[in-house]
Amino acid sequence: MIQIAEQIRSGWCVVEIRGRADAETAEELERALRSAIGQHPKVAADFVAVDYISSAGLRAVLQAGRAAQERQAEFTVCRVRGPVKKVFEVSGMHHVLRIEEDLPC
Amino acid sequence: MLSMLEEVVLLAVDEKTGHLESPRGFGVAYALAGAVFFDLALARKIDTDTDEIRIVDTNPSANAIWNRVLDEMRRRPEIRTVRDWIEALFRRNDDLEGEALASLIAQGILRLEKSKRLWIIDVERFPIVNDRPRKHVKARLAQAILTNEIPDTRDIMLVSIAEACGLLPYVLSEPQLEARRERIQVLCNLETISRKVADAIGGLDATLRQAPLRLS
Repeated sequence: MIQIAEQIRSGWCVVEIRGRADAETAEELERALRSAIGQHPKVAADFVAVDYISSAGLRAVLQAGRAAQERQAEFTVCRVRGPVKKVFEVSGMHHVLRIEEDLPC
Repeated sequence: MLSMLEEVVLLAVDEKTGHLESPRGFGVAYALAGAVFFDLALARKIDTDTDEIRIVDTNPSANAIWNRVLDEMRRRPEIRTVRDWIEALFRRNDDLEGEALASLIAQGILRLEKSKRLWIIDVERFPIVNDRPRKHVKARLAQAILTNEIPDTRDIMLVSIAEACGLLPYVLSEPQLEARRERIQVLCNLETISRKVADAIGGLDATLRQAPLRLS
């Protein structure tokens, strides 16, 4: 189960994600992030309310990062917490994505 | 589209001789097991997290290897971790390489040539009939390694399996690989399955290193 909402703040499109990012929800997550990247030059994925992420979820975020690179859009993953943060660290996602402790806006 | 397993086996065919290169010996069997799990993940049949693996779609596919592995996963729910499943598939001793070669021959990419060495020993070669898929695989690997762009999911998986099989020297020169060693490690680390394949190969290497000590 995942809930996704968008907010515009100080020139950034903040994609607020809530719930689990796994095989069941990865497609929806990737679609939402790609859509935001397609419409806005600056996108922040807010992970503060994500409580689980699997490999499928990570791939969705990574491919959104790839889409941002192709469009030369700014894309940052923010406020990753708890066990999800641990998964990001183990995978070394910070080597390929911009990951921030707080929202940029 | 070729499966991940087929792409890796195709990469292992020497384009001049048609012989199969397997520079990492037993480690390759772990890497090919990893390739099957990557195929299942790409087909959205399984999902993994940092430790566990689980089936997310039980519908059969058109691929016999995938169906066989999924059947076994259904029958053995007591095996839960990615590492244990890589070990379990390794121990099944399935001829994954042989099945991938048969499929590549059926698709007109390779052909089988049998001959005798010293009139007795059967020798099989797999000359390349259609070089386009192999060139495509090599180009994707080179692009993923030599640039700093985020690669497609499939190409990240391909880099990690080719690295585990020791096949990257057939794609890029030693100086190129040396210069991009850190990048290769970053890409390999992104996927749980490749991290666990590397662990399994590391465990096997350690066991083999200790084997002569046990005998003495």
